[in-house]
Amino acid sequence: MTERHRLRSLLWIAYMNGVVPMRTQPLYLLSILASPLSFLFFVTVASHGTLIFYGIAGGMILTVLSVGTSLQTDMSHYRTDLKFQDVIVASPVEAPIYVAGIALSELIYSLPGLGVFVVLWRLNGPISPEAALSVVGILLTVWALATSLGFTLSTYFNDIRETFVFSSIVSLGLSVLPPVYYPISAIPASVRWLAYLSPTTYAAFLMQGAFGLQPLSLPSAAVDWLILVLAAIALLAIAAVKARWRDP
Amino acid sequence: MPVAVEARHLSKTYEHRGGKTEALTNVDLTIPAGQVYGMIGRNGAGKTTFVRVAATQLTPTSGTVTVLGYDILRETSKVRARIAAVPQESRPLYFLNVDELIFLYLTIRGTDPRDARKRTDAILEELGLASVRKRLVHMLSGGMRRRAMVAMVLASDAEVLYLDEPTTGLDPIARREVWSAVRRAVRDGRTVLLTTHYLDEAEALSGRIALLEGGQVRLEGTPSSIRDRVHQPYRIVVSGVLGRSELESFGTVSPVEGGFLIFAREAPARELALLALSKGAKVSLGPVTLEDIFLQVVGKSIDADDTSEGDGKEGGA
Repeated sequence: MTERHRLRSLLWIAYMNGVVPMRTQPLYLLSILASPLSFLFFVTVASHGTLIFYGIAGGMILTVLSVGTSLQTDMSHYRTDLKFQDVIVASPVEAPIYVAGIALSELIYSLPGLGVFVVLWRLNGPISPEAALSVVGILLTVWALATSLGFTLSTYFNDIRETFVFSSIVSLGLSVLPPVYYPISAIPASVRWLAYLSPTTYAAFLMQGAFGLQPLSLPSAAVDWLILVLAAIALLAIAAVKARWRDP
Repeated sequence: MPVAVEARHLSKTYEHRGGKTEALTNVDLTIPAGQVYGMIGRNGAGKTTFVRVAATQLTPTSGTVTVLGYDILRETSKVRARIAAVPQESRPLYFLNVDELIFLYLTIRGTDPRDARKRTDAILEELGLASVRKRLVHMLSGGMRRRAMVAMVLASDAEVLYLDEPTTGLDPIARREVWSAVRRAVRDGRTVLLTTHYLDEAEALSGRIALLEGGQVRLEGTPSSIRDRVHQPYRIVVSGVLGRSELESFGTVSPVEGGFLIFAREAPARELALLALSKGAKVSLGPVTLEDIFLQVVGKSIDADDTSEGDGKEGGA
Protein backbone atom coordinates (compact mmCIF):
# COMPACT_ATOMS: atom_id res chain seq x y z
CA MET A 1 0.00 0.00 0.00
CA THR A 2 1.24 3.49 -0.83
CA GLU A 3 0.97 6.36 1.66
CA ARG A 4 -1.98 7.69 -0.35
CA HIS A 5 -3.73 4.32 -0.15
CA ARG A 6 -3.06 4.11 3.58
CA LEU A 7 -4.58 7.54 4.17
CA ARG A 8 -7.60 6.68 2.02
CA SER A 9 -8.11 3.40 3.88
CA LEU A 10 -7.92 5.21 7.20
CA LEU A 11 -10.51 7.79 6.10
CA TRP A 12 -12.86 5.12 4.71
CA ILE A 13 -12.67 3.22 8.02
CA ALA A 14 -13.41 6.46 9.88
CA TYR A 15 -16.36 7.11 7.57
CA MET A 16 -17.67 3.55 8.01
CA ASN A 17 -17.48 3.51 11.79
CA GLY A 18 -18.03 7.20 12.52
CA VAL A 19 -20.35 8.74 9.93
CA VAL A 20 -22.54 5.80 8.84
CA PRO A 21 -23.68 4.91 12.40
CA MET A 22 -24.67 8.55 13.00
CA ARG A 23 -27.17 8.10 10.21
CA THR A 24 -28.42 4.65 11.14
CA GLN A 25 -28.12 4.87 14.94
CA PRO A 26 -28.64 8.56 15.85
CA LEU A 27 -29.75 7.69 19.40
CA TYR A 28 -26.20 6.53 20.18
CA LEU A 29 -25.12 10.15 19.87
CA LEU A 30 -27.18 10.90 22.96
CA SER A 31 -25.71 7.95 24.84
CA ILE A 32 -22.20 9.35 24.47
CA LEU A 33 -23.38 12.51 26.25
CA ALA A 34 -25.21 10.73 29.04
CA SER A 35 -22.31 10.33 31.51
CA PRO A 36 -20.61 13.70 30.93
CA LEU A 37 -23.90 15.59 31.24
CA SER A 38 -24.91 13.58 34.34
CA PHE A 39 -21.63 14.48 36.09
CA LEU A 40 -22.06 18.11 35.03
CA PHE A 41 -25.56 18.12 36.48
CA PHE A 42 -24.51 16.64 39.85
CA VAL A 43 -21.43 18.87 40.19
CA THR A 44 -23.49 21.94 39.35
CA VAL A 45 -26.30 21.06 41.75
CA ALA A 46 -23.98 19.99 44.58
CA SER A 47 -21.89 23.17 44.30
CA HIS A 48 -24.93 25.45 43.88
CA GLY A 49 -23.61 26.43 40.46
CA THR A 50 -20.13 27.51 41.56
CA LEU A 51 -18.42 24.59 39.81
CA ILE A 52 -20.45 24.62 36.60
CA PHE A 53 -17.45 25.53 34.42
CA TYR A 54 -15.30 22.91 36.10
CA GLY A 55 -18.09 20.54 35.09
CA ILE A 56 -18.06 21.78 31.50
CA ALA A 57 -14.26 21.40 31.24
CA GLY A 58 -14.56 17.94 32.81
CA GLY A 59 -17.41 17.05 30.47
CA MET A 60 -15.16 17.70 27.48
CA ILE A 61 -12.43 15.47 28.90
CA LEU A 62 -14.90 12.72 29.77
CA THR A 63 -16.49 12.89 26.30
CA VAL A 64 -13.08 12.30 24.71
CA LEU A 65 -12.20 9.63 27.29
CA SER A 66 -15.41 7.84 26.41
CA VAL A 67 -14.02 7.68 22.86
CA GLY A 68 -11.41 5.30 24.24
CA THR A 69 -14.05 3.24 26.01
CA SER A 70 -16.17 3.10 22.85
CA LEU A 71 -13.14 2.07 20.85
CA GLN A 72 -12.36 -0.69 23.34
CA THR A 73 -15.94 -1.98 23.20
CA ASP A 74 -16.24 -1.65 19.40
CA MET A 75 -12.94 -3.34 18.72
CA SER A 76 -13.64 -6.19 21.13
CA HIS A 77 -17.05 -6.68 19.55
CA TYR A 78 -15.65 -6.55 16.01
CA ARG A 79 -12.87 -8.99 16.92
CA THR A 80 -14.60 -11.58 19.06
CA ASP A 81 -18.26 -11.50 18.00
CA LEU A 82 -18.30 -10.37 14.39
CA LYS A 83 -14.80 -11.61 13.40
CA PHE A 84 -14.52 -8.35 11.46
CA GLN A 85 -10.94 -7.86 12.63
CA ASP A 86 -10.01 -11.21 11.06
CA VAL A 87 -11.53 -9.99 7.79
CA ILE A 88 -9.30 -6.91 7.98
CA VAL A 89 -6.21 -8.85 9.10
CA ALA A 90 -6.48 -10.95 5.92
CA SER A 91 -6.30 -7.85 3.75
CA PRO A 92 -3.74 -5.20 2.78
CA VAL A 93 -4.91 -2.95 5.64
CA GLU A 94 -2.22 -2.68 8.33
CA ALA A 95 -2.97 -2.69 12.05
CA PRO A 96 -2.03 0.99 12.67
CA ILE A 97 -4.31 2.10 9.80
CA TYR A 98 -7.21 0.08 11.16
CA VAL A 99 -6.72 1.33 14.71
CA ALA A 100 -6.22 4.95 13.61
CA GLY A 101 -9.31 4.72 11.41
CA ILE A 102 -11.46 3.37 14.23
CA ALA A 103 -9.98 5.94 16.66
CA LEU A 104 -10.76 8.77 14.23
CA SER A 105 -14.26 7.42 13.74
CA GLU A 106 -14.87 7.51 17.49
CA LEU A 107 -13.63 11.10 17.60
CA ILE A 108 -15.98 12.04 14.75
CA TYR A 109 -18.78 10.35 16.64
CA SER A 110 -18.03 12.43 19.74
CA LEU A 111 -17.97 15.77 17.89
CA PRO A 112 -21.69 16.56 18.33
CA GLY A 113 -21.27 15.92 22.08
CA LEU A 114 -18.21 18.14 22.26
CA GLY A 115 -20.19 20.78 20.37
CA VAL A 116 -22.74 20.86 23.20
CA PHE A 117 -19.97 21.52 25.75
CA VAL A 118 -18.42 24.22 23.53
CA VAL A 119 -21.78 25.99 23.46
CA LEU A 120 -21.99 25.72 27.26
CA TRP A 121 -18.39 26.99 27.58
CA ARG A 122 -19.28 30.00 25.45
CA LEU A 123 -21.81 30.95 28.18
CA ASN A 124 -18.80 31.86 30.33
CA GLY A 125 -17.92 34.64 27.90
CA PRO A 126 -15.88 35.01 24.73
CA ILE A 127 -13.35 32.23 24.03
CA SER A 128 -9.85 33.45 23.17
CA PRO A 129 -8.03 31.77 20.26
CA GLU A 130 -5.22 30.75 22.66
CA ALA A 131 -7.69 29.03 24.99
CA ALA A 132 -9.45 27.32 22.07
CA LEU A 133 -6.14 26.10 20.65
CA SER A 134 -5.04 24.88 24.04
CA VAL A 135 -8.31 22.97 24.58
CA VAL A 136 -8.09 21.36 21.13
CA GLY A 137 -4.50 20.27 21.88
CA ILE A 138 -5.43 18.87 25.30
CA LEU A 139 -8.41 16.96 23.92
CA LEU A 140 -6.39 15.52 21.02
CA THR A 141 -3.71 14.34 23.44
CA VAL A 142 -6.35 12.77 25.71
CA TRP A 143 -7.86 11.17 22.60
CA ALA A 144 -4.50 9.60 21.65
CA LEU A 145 -4.05 8.39 25.22
CA ALA A 146 -7.57 6.99 25.59
CA THR A 147 -7.68 5.25 22.21
CA SER A 148 -4.24 3.66 22.72
CA LEU A 149 -5.35 2.30 26.06
CA GLY A 150 -8.69 1.19 24.62
CA PHE A 151 -7.08 -0.64 21.70
CA THR A 152 -4.50 -2.41 23.86
CA LEU A 153 -7.16 -3.59 26.30
CA SER A 154 -9.51 -4.67 23.51
CA THR A 155 -7.02 -7.17 22.16
CA TYR A 156 -6.89 -9.10 25.42
CA PHE A 157 -10.56 -9.93 25.86
CA ASN A 158 -12.31 -13.01 24.55
CA ASP A 159 -15.77 -11.88 25.54
CA ILE A 160 -17.46 -8.52 25.19
CA ARG A 161 -18.70 -8.70 28.81
CA GLU A 162 -15.10 -8.57 30.08
CA THR A 163 -14.62 -5.23 28.32
CA PHE A 164 -17.58 -3.73 30.18
CA VAL A 165 -15.94 -4.55 33.51
CA PHE A 166 -12.67 -2.96 32.43
CA SER A 167 -14.43 0.07 30.92
CA SER A 168 -15.94 0.89 34.31
CA ILE A 169 -12.59 0.52 36.11
CA VAL A 170 -10.79 2.64 33.49
CA SER A 171 -13.50 5.32 33.70
CA LEU A 172 -13.19 5.37 37.48
CA GLY A 173 -9.41 5.70 37.34
CA LEU A 174 -9.30 8.31 34.60
CA SER A 175 -12.35 10.47 35.07
CA VAL A 176 -13.92 10.13 38.52
CA LEU A 177 -11.01 9.92 40.98
CA PRO A 178 -8.85 12.58 39.27
CA PRO A 179 -10.05 16.19 39.62
CA VAL A 180 -11.62 16.29 36.19
CA TYR A 181 -14.91 17.78 37.42
CA TYR A 182 -13.71 19.79 40.39
CA PRO A 183 -10.59 21.56 41.69
CA ILE A 184 -7.93 19.30 43.19
CA SER A 185 -8.35 21.16 46.48
CA ALA A 186 -11.70 19.37 46.84
CA ILE A 187 -9.86 16.05 47.28
CA PRO A 188 -8.74 15.32 50.87
CA ALA A 189 -5.02 16.02 51.21
CA SER A 190 -4.26 12.50 52.48
CA VAL A 191 -5.39 10.84 49.22
CA ARG A 192 -4.49 13.63 46.82
CA TRP A 193 -1.36 11.73 45.74
CA LEU A 194 -3.68 9.18 44.11
CA ALA A 195 -4.98 11.82 41.75
CA TYR A 196 -1.46 12.65 40.60
CA LEU A 197 -1.07 9.07 39.32
CA SER A 198 -3.66 9.67 36.60
CA PRO A 199 -2.63 11.48 33.40
CA THR A 200 -6.08 13.02 33.17
CA THR A 201 -5.30 15.07 36.31
CA TYR A 202 -2.76 17.01 34.23
CA ALA A 203 -5.25 17.32 31.37
CA ALA A 204 -7.74 18.72 33.91
CA PHE A 205 -5.19 21.24 35.25
CA LEU A 206 -4.52 22.43 31.69
CA MET A 207 -8.24 22.60 30.86
CA GLN A 208 -9.01 24.52 34.04
CA GLY A 209 -6.17 26.88 33.14
CA ALA A 210 -7.50 27.36 29.60
CA PHE A 211 -10.98 28.04 31.01
CA GLY A 212 -9.46 30.64 33.37
CA LEU A 213 -10.68 28.72 36.43
CA GLN A 214 -7.25 28.22 37.98
CA PRO A 215 -4.12 30.34 37.61
CA LEU A 216 -1.55 28.38 35.60
CA SER A 217 2.04 29.55 35.47
CA LEU A 218 4.12 28.80 32.40
CA PRO A 219 6.44 26.34 34.24
CA SER A 220 3.42 24.51 35.72
CA ALA A 221 1.73 24.34 32.32
CA ALA A 222 4.96 23.04 30.76
CA VAL A 223 5.21 20.28 33.38
CA ASP A 224 1.53 19.34 32.94
CA TRP A 225 1.93 19.20 29.16
CA LEU A 226 5.10 17.14 29.47
CA ILE A 227 3.47 14.56 31.73
CA LEU A 228 0.33 14.37 29.58
CA VAL A 229 2.26 13.98 26.32
CA LEU A 230 4.66 11.44 27.83
CA ALA A 231 1.71 9.40 29.12
CA ALA A 232 0.14 9.47 25.65
CA ILE A 233 3.42 8.44 24.00
CA ALA A 234 3.92 5.65 26.55
CA LEU A 235 0.41 4.28 25.94
CA LEU A 236 0.86 4.58 22.16
CA ALA A 237 4.11 2.63 22.46
CA ILE A 238 2.47 -0.03 24.61
CA ALA A 239 -0.36 -0.28 22.07
CA ALA A 240 2.15 -0.70 19.25
CA VAL A 241 4.20 -3.35 21.06
CA LYS A 242 1.57 -5.28 22.99
CA ALA A 243 -1.43 -5.09 20.69
CA ARG A 244 -2.20 -8.48 19.18
CA TRP A 245 -3.00 -8.32 15.48
CA ARG A 246 -2.19 -11.92 14.58
CA ASP A 247 -3.35 -14.30 17.30
CA PRO A 248 -0.52 -16.19 19.04
CA MET B 1 1.62 -26.22 -11.83
CA PRO B 2 1.72 -22.86 -9.98
CA VAL B 3 1.11 -23.18 -6.24
CA ALA B 4 -1.19 -20.88 -4.25
CA VAL B 5 -0.67 -22.16 -0.72
CA GLU B 6 1.98 -24.55 0.50
CA ALA B 7 2.26 -25.89 4.05
CA ARG B 8 5.23 -27.89 5.26
CA HIS B 9 5.35 -29.69 8.63
CA LEU B 10 2.70 -27.30 9.89
CA SER B 11 1.67 -27.79 13.50
CA LYS B 12 -0.47 -25.70 15.79
CA THR B 13 -0.95 -26.30 19.48
CA TYR B 14 -3.29 -24.19 21.58
CA GLU B 15 -2.26 -23.67 25.16
CA HIS B 16 -4.99 -23.06 27.68
CA ARG B 17 -5.61 -23.43 31.37
CA GLY B 18 -6.68 -27.05 30.99
CA GLY B 19 -3.49 -27.98 29.13
CA LYS B 20 -2.67 -28.16 25.45
CA THR B 21 -4.73 -29.00 22.39
CA GLU B 22 -3.00 -30.07 19.23
CA ALA B 23 -5.13 -28.69 16.41
CA LEU B 24 -2.75 -29.42 13.52
CA THR B 25 0.03 -32.01 13.49
CA ASN B 26 2.76 -31.99 10.88
CA VAL B 27 0.49 -31.05 8.00
CA ASP B 28 1.92 -31.02 4.49
CA LEU B 29 -0.37 -29.58 1.83
CA THR B 30 0.11 -28.11 -1.62
CA ILE B 31 -2.83 -26.11 -2.92
CA PRO B 32 -2.58 -25.45 -6.64
CA ALA B 33 -3.42 -22.00 -7.97
CA GLY B 34 -6.48 -21.29 -10.08
CA GLN B 35 -8.91 -23.79 -8.64
CA VAL B 36 -11.19 -24.45 -5.71
CA TYR B 37 -9.49 -26.50 -3.02
CA GLY B 38 -11.97 -28.18 -0.74
CA MET B 39 -11.13 -28.93 2.86
CA ILE B 40 -13.52 -31.30 4.58
CA GLY B 41 -13.64 -32.65 8.08
CA ARG B 42 -15.73 -32.79 11.21
CA ASN B 43 -15.87 -30.02 13.80
CA GLY B 44 -12.49 -29.94 15.48
CA ALA B 45 -10.65 -31.58 12.59
CA GLY B 46 -8.34 -28.57 12.14
CA LYS B 47 -9.86 -26.93 9.05
CA THR B 48 -10.39 -23.50 10.58
CA THR B 49 -7.00 -23.55 12.25
CA PHE B 50 -5.37 -24.26 8.88
CA VAL B 51 -7.31 -21.46 7.19
CA ARG B 52 -6.52 -18.98 9.97
CA VAL B 53 -2.81 -19.74 9.81
CA ALA B 54 -2.74 -19.48 6.01
CA ALA B 55 -4.76 -16.24 6.17
CA THR B 56 -2.15 -14.71 8.53
CA GLN B 57 -4.66 -14.49 11.38
CA LEU B 58 -3.02 -17.09 13.60
CA THR B 59 0.62 -17.87 14.37
CA PRO B 60 1.68 -21.46 13.73
CA THR B 61 3.53 -23.36 16.45
CA SER B 62 5.97 -24.85 13.95
CA GLY B 63 6.38 -25.44 10.24
CA THR B 64 6.08 -23.07 7.31
CA VAL B 65 3.29 -21.79 5.09
CA THR B 66 3.76 -19.83 1.90
CA VAL B 67 1.05 -18.05 -0.07
CA LEU B 68 1.89 -17.41 -3.74
CA GLY B 69 5.50 -18.00 -2.77
CA TYR B 70 5.55 -15.55 0.14
CA ASP B 71 6.17 -16.73 3.69
CA ILE B 72 3.24 -15.90 5.99
CA LEU B 73 5.54 -14.89 8.86
CA ARG B 74 8.44 -13.15 7.11
CA GLU B 75 6.55 -11.59 4.18
CA THR B 76 3.20 -10.97 5.82
CA SER B 77 2.36 -7.71 4.04
CA LYS B 78 2.97 -9.30 0.61
CA VAL B 79 0.66 -12.16 1.56
CA ARG B 80 -2.05 -9.86 2.91
CA ALA B 81 -2.01 -7.76 -0.26
CA ARG B 82 -3.09 -10.86 -2.18
CA ILE B 83 -5.69 -12.53 0.04
CA ALA B 84 -9.23 -12.06 1.32
CA ALA B 85 -11.14 -14.13 3.87
CA VAL B 86 -14.60 -14.81 5.20
CA PRO B 87 -13.96 -16.30 8.64
CA GLN B 88 -16.20 -18.97 10.07
CA GLU B 89 -19.18 -17.48 11.93
CA SER B 90 -18.24 -13.96 10.86
CA ARG B 91 -21.04 -11.43 10.64
CA PRO B 92 -21.24 -8.04 8.94
CA LEU B 93 -21.24 -4.76 10.88
CA TYR B 94 -24.89 -4.36 11.84
CA PHE B 95 -25.23 -0.65 11.04
CA LEU B 96 -24.24 -1.00 7.37
CA ASN B 97 -26.54 -1.81 4.52
CA VAL B 98 -25.59 -4.52 2.04
CA ASP B 99 -24.29 -2.07 -0.54
CA GLU B 100 -22.15 -0.22 2.02
CA LEU B 101 -20.79 -3.48 3.40
CA ILE B 102 -19.32 -4.48 0.04
CA PHE B 103 -18.38 -1.02 -1.22
CA LEU B 104 -16.67 0.03 2.01
CA TYR B 105 -14.80 -3.28 2.32
CA LEU B 106 -13.38 -2.71 -1.16
CA THR B 107 -12.44 0.94 -0.59
CA ILE B 108 -10.88 0.10 2.78
CA ARG B 109 -8.77 -2.54 1.01
CA GLY B 110 -7.53 0.24 -1.27
CA THR B 111 -9.73 -0.27 -4.34
CA ASP B 112 -10.42 2.92 -6.26
CA PRO B 113 -13.97 4.11 -5.38
CA ARG B 114 -15.15 4.08 -9.02
CA ASP B 115 -13.87 0.54 -9.49
CA ALA B 116 -15.35 -0.43 -6.11
CA ARG B 117 -18.75 0.87 -7.23
CA LYS B 118 -18.64 -1.23 -10.41
CA ARG B 119 -17.51 -4.32 -8.55
CA THR B 120 -20.20 -3.83 -5.89
CA ASP B 121 -22.97 -3.48 -8.47
CA ALA B 122 -21.77 -6.56 -10.36
CA ILE B 123 -21.52 -8.86 -7.34
CA LEU B 124 -24.88 -7.72 -5.96
CA GLU B 125 -26.48 -8.77 -9.25
CA GLU B 126 -24.53 -12.01 -9.47
CA LEU B 127 -25.39 -13.18 -5.97
CA GLY B 128 -29.02 -12.10 -6.11
CA LEU B 129 -28.58 -9.33 -3.54
CA ALA B 130 -29.48 -6.34 -5.71
CA SER B 131 -33.03 -6.17 -4.40
CA VAL B 132 -31.85 -5.87 -0.78
CA ARG B 133 -28.84 -3.62 -1.40
CA LYS B 134 -30.20 -0.76 0.73
CA ARG B 135 -31.41 -2.98 3.54
CA LEU B 136 -29.49 -2.90 6.82
CA VAL B 137 -27.64 -6.18 7.26
CA HIS B 138 -29.16 -6.85 10.67
CA MET B 139 -32.56 -6.90 8.98
CA LEU B 140 -31.50 -9.79 6.73
CA SER B 141 -31.90 -13.50 7.37
CA GLY B 142 -28.80 -15.39 8.53
CA GLY B 143 -28.38 -16.91 5.10
CA MET B 144 -28.58 -13.54 3.33
CA ARG B 145 -26.03 -12.08 5.74
CA ARG B 146 -23.67 -14.93 4.98
CA ARG B 147 -24.16 -14.37 1.27
CA ALA B 148 -23.36 -10.68 1.71
CA MET B 149 -20.10 -11.61 3.47
CA VAL B 150 -19.16 -13.95 0.64
CA ALA B 151 -20.07 -11.26 -1.91
CA MET B 152 -17.72 -8.88 -0.13
CA VAL B 153 -14.60 -10.97 -0.68
CA LEU B 154 -15.60 -12.25 -4.10
CA ALA B 155 -15.87 -8.63 -5.24
CA SER B 156 -12.29 -7.96 -4.19
CA ASP B 157 -9.24 -8.29 -6.40
CA ALA B 158 -7.58 -10.80 -4.04
CA GLU B 159 -5.83 -13.69 -5.75
CA VAL B 160 -6.41 -16.21 -2.95
CA LEU B 161 -9.79 -16.36 -1.21
CA TYR B 162 -10.39 -18.21 2.04
CA LEU B 163 -14.01 -19.16 2.53
CA ASP B 164 -14.52 -20.91 5.85
CA GLU B 165 -17.88 -22.69 5.66
CA PRO B 166 -19.35 -19.99 3.41
CA THR B 167 -22.68 -21.65 2.72
CA THR B 168 -23.62 -22.76 6.22
CA GLY B 169 -27.23 -21.78 6.79
CA LEU B 170 -28.00 -21.00 3.15
CA ASP B 171 -30.97 -22.49 1.37
CA PRO B 172 -30.24 -24.71 -1.68
CA ILE B 173 -30.88 -21.91 -4.20
CA ALA B 174 -28.64 -19.46 -2.38
CA ARG B 175 -25.95 -22.12 -2.06
CA ARG B 176 -25.94 -22.61 -5.80
CA GLU B 177 -25.71 -18.86 -6.38
CA VAL B 178 -22.62 -18.81 -4.18
CA TRP B 179 -21.25 -21.83 -6.04
CA SER B 180 -21.59 -20.09 -9.39
CA ALA B 181 -19.86 -16.98 -8.04
CA VAL B 182 -17.05 -19.14 -6.65
CA ARG B 183 -16.72 -20.90 -10.03
CA ARG B 184 -16.52 -17.52 -11.75
CA ALA B 185 -13.78 -16.42 -9.36
CA VAL B 186 -11.81 -19.50 -10.31
CA ARG B 187 -12.39 -18.85 -14.01
CA ASP B 188 -10.83 -15.44 -13.42
CA GLY B 189 -7.68 -17.27 -12.33
CA ARG B 190 -8.14 -16.97 -8.59
CA THR B 191 -7.71 -19.67 -5.98
CA VAL B 192 -10.40 -20.49 -3.44
CA LEU B 193 -9.68 -22.45 -0.29
CA LEU B 194 -13.08 -23.65 0.85
CA THR B 195 -13.87 -25.47 4.05
CA THR B 196 -17.22 -27.12 4.24
CA HIS B 197 -19.36 -29.69 6.00
CA TYR B 198 -21.31 -30.25 2.81
CA LEU B 199 -19.56 -33.03 0.97
CA ASP B 200 -21.65 -32.50 -2.17
CA GLU B 201 -20.42 -28.91 -2.18
CA ALA B 202 -16.79 -29.97 -1.90
CA GLU B 203 -17.26 -32.51 -4.68
CA ALA B 204 -19.16 -30.12 -6.95
CA LEU B 205 -16.70 -27.25 -6.65
CA SER B 206 -13.27 -28.59 -5.82
CA GLY B 207 -10.46 -29.52 -8.16
CA ARG B 208 -8.77 -31.16 -5.20
CA ILE B 209 -9.93 -32.13 -1.74
CA ALA B 210 -8.18 -32.68 1.58
CA LEU B 211 -9.88 -34.69 4.29
CA LEU B 212 -8.75 -33.63 7.74
CA GLU B 213 -9.28 -35.60 10.91
CA GLY B 214 -7.66 -35.04 14.28
CA GLY B 215 -5.41 -32.29 12.93
CA GLN B 216 -3.95 -34.47 10.20
CA VAL B 217 -4.55 -34.87 6.48
CA ARG B 218 -6.04 -38.32 6.04
CA LEU B 219 -6.73 -38.18 2.30
CA GLU B 220 -5.80 -35.69 -0.38
CA GLY B 221 -6.28 -35.54 -4.14
CA THR B 222 -8.81 -34.98 -6.88
CA PRO B 223 -12.28 -36.36 -6.10
CA SER B 224 -11.75 -39.20 -8.61
CA SER B 225 -8.26 -40.06 -7.34
CA ILE B 226 -9.60 -40.16 -3.79
CA ARG B 227 -12.23 -42.65 -4.95
CA ASP B 228 -9.56 -44.77 -6.64
CA ARG B 229 -7.59 -44.98 -3.42
CA VAL B 230 -10.46 -46.12 -1.31
CA HIS B 231 -10.18 -49.73 -0.23
CA GLN B 232 -13.82 -50.49 -1.05
CA PRO B 233 -14.84 -48.21 -3.93
CA TYR B 234 -18.41 -49.52 -4.44
CA ARG B 235 -21.56 -49.06 -2.43
CA ILE B 236 -24.45 -51.50 -2.61
CA VAL B 237 -27.73 -50.96 -0.86
CA VAL B 238 -29.69 -54.18 -0.42
CA SER B 239 -33.16 -54.14 1.02
CA GLY B 240 -34.84 -57.13 2.68
CA VAL B 241 -34.29 -60.84 2.03
CA LEU B 242 -30.54 -61.12 2.85
CA GLY B 243 -29.38 -61.10 6.44
CA ARG B 244 -26.39 -59.29 7.83
CA SER B 245 -24.35 -62.48 8.30
CA GLU B 246 -24.77 -63.37 4.62
CA LEU B 247 -23.62 -59.91 3.55
CA GLU B 248 -20.52 -59.64 5.70
CA SER B 249 -18.48 -61.93 3.46
CA PHE B 250 -18.79 -59.36 0.63
CA GLY B 251 -17.56 -56.25 2.43
CA THR B 252 -18.25 -53.83 5.24
CA VAL B 253 -21.89 -53.80 6.27
CA SER B 254 -23.84 -50.99 7.93
CA PRO B 255 -27.58 -51.02 8.65
CA VAL B 256 -29.65 -48.39 6.84
CA GLU B 257 -33.38 -47.81 6.74
CA GLY B 258 -35.04 -50.85 5.17
CA GLY B 259 -31.85 -52.82 4.57
CA PHE B 260 -28.07 -52.68 4.55
CA LEU B 261 -25.33 -50.57 2.99
CA ILE B 262 -22.28 -52.56 1.95
CA PHE B 263 -18.94 -51.11 0.88
CA ALA B 264 -17.11 -53.60 -1.30
CA ARG B 265 -14.44 -54.13 -3.95
CA GLU B 266 -15.58 -54.43 -7.57
CA ALA B 267 -15.83 -58.26 -7.91
CA PRO B 268 -17.64 -58.92 -4.61
CA ALA B 269 -19.91 -55.98 -5.33
CA ARG B 270 -21.02 -57.45 -8.65
CA GLU B 271 -21.35 -60.93 -7.10
CA LEU B 272 -23.50 -59.55 -4.27
CA ALA B 273 -25.69 -57.58 -6.65
CA LEU B 274 -26.39 -60.68 -8.73
CA LEU B 275 -27.08 -62.79 -5.64
CA ALA B 276 -29.47 -60.23 -4.21
CA LEU B 277 -31.31 -59.82 -7.51
CA SER B 278 -31.65 -63.62 -7.84
CA LYS B 279 -33.31 -63.65 -4.40
CA GLY B 280 -35.72 -60.86 -5.38
CA ALA B 281 -34.16 -58.16 -3.24
CA LYS B 282 -34.05 -54.50 -4.23
CA VAL B 283 -30.49 -53.53 -5.09
CA SER B 284 -28.72 -50.32 -5.96
CA LEU B 285 -25.06 -50.40 -6.96
CA GLY B 286 -22.73 -47.48 -7.62
CA PRO B 287 -19.41 -45.84 -6.80
CA VAL B 288 -18.96 -44.60 -3.25
CA THR B 289 -19.86 -41.00 -2.53
CA LEU B 290 -17.56 -38.60 -0.72
CA GLU B 291 -19.71 -39.12 2.34
CA ASP B 292 -19.10 -42.88 2.12
CA ILE B 293 -15.38 -42.28 1.79
CA PHE B 294 -15.46 -40.06 4.83
CA LEU B 295 -17.23 -42.75 6.78
CA GLN B 296 -14.71 -45.37 5.66
CA VAL B 297 -11.65 -43.28 6.46
CA VAL B 298 -12.77 -41.64 9.68
CA GLY B 299 -15.14 -44.29 10.94
CA LYS B 300 -17.74 -41.64 11.80
CA SER B 301 -20.15 -39.45 9.89
CA ILE B 302 -18.97 -35.90 9.10
CA ASP B 303 -21.85 -34.63 11.23
CA ALA B 304 -20.63 -36.52 14.31
CA ASP B 305 -19.28 -33.89 16.65
CA ASP B 306 -15.93 -34.14 18.37
CA THR B 307 -15.38 -31.38 20.84
CA SER B 308 -12.12 -32.83 22.15
CA GLU B 309 -10.18 -31.31 19.25
CA GLY B 310 -9.51 -27.58 18.89
CA ASP B 311 -10.64 -26.11 15.63
CA GLY B 312 -9.39 -22.62 16.15
CA LYS B 313 -12.84 -21.31 16.94
CA GLU B 314 -11.98 -20.47 20.44
CA GLY B 315 -8.33 -21.23 20.66
CA GLY B 316 -6.69 -18.30 19.01
CA ALA B 317 -8.96 -15.52 19.99
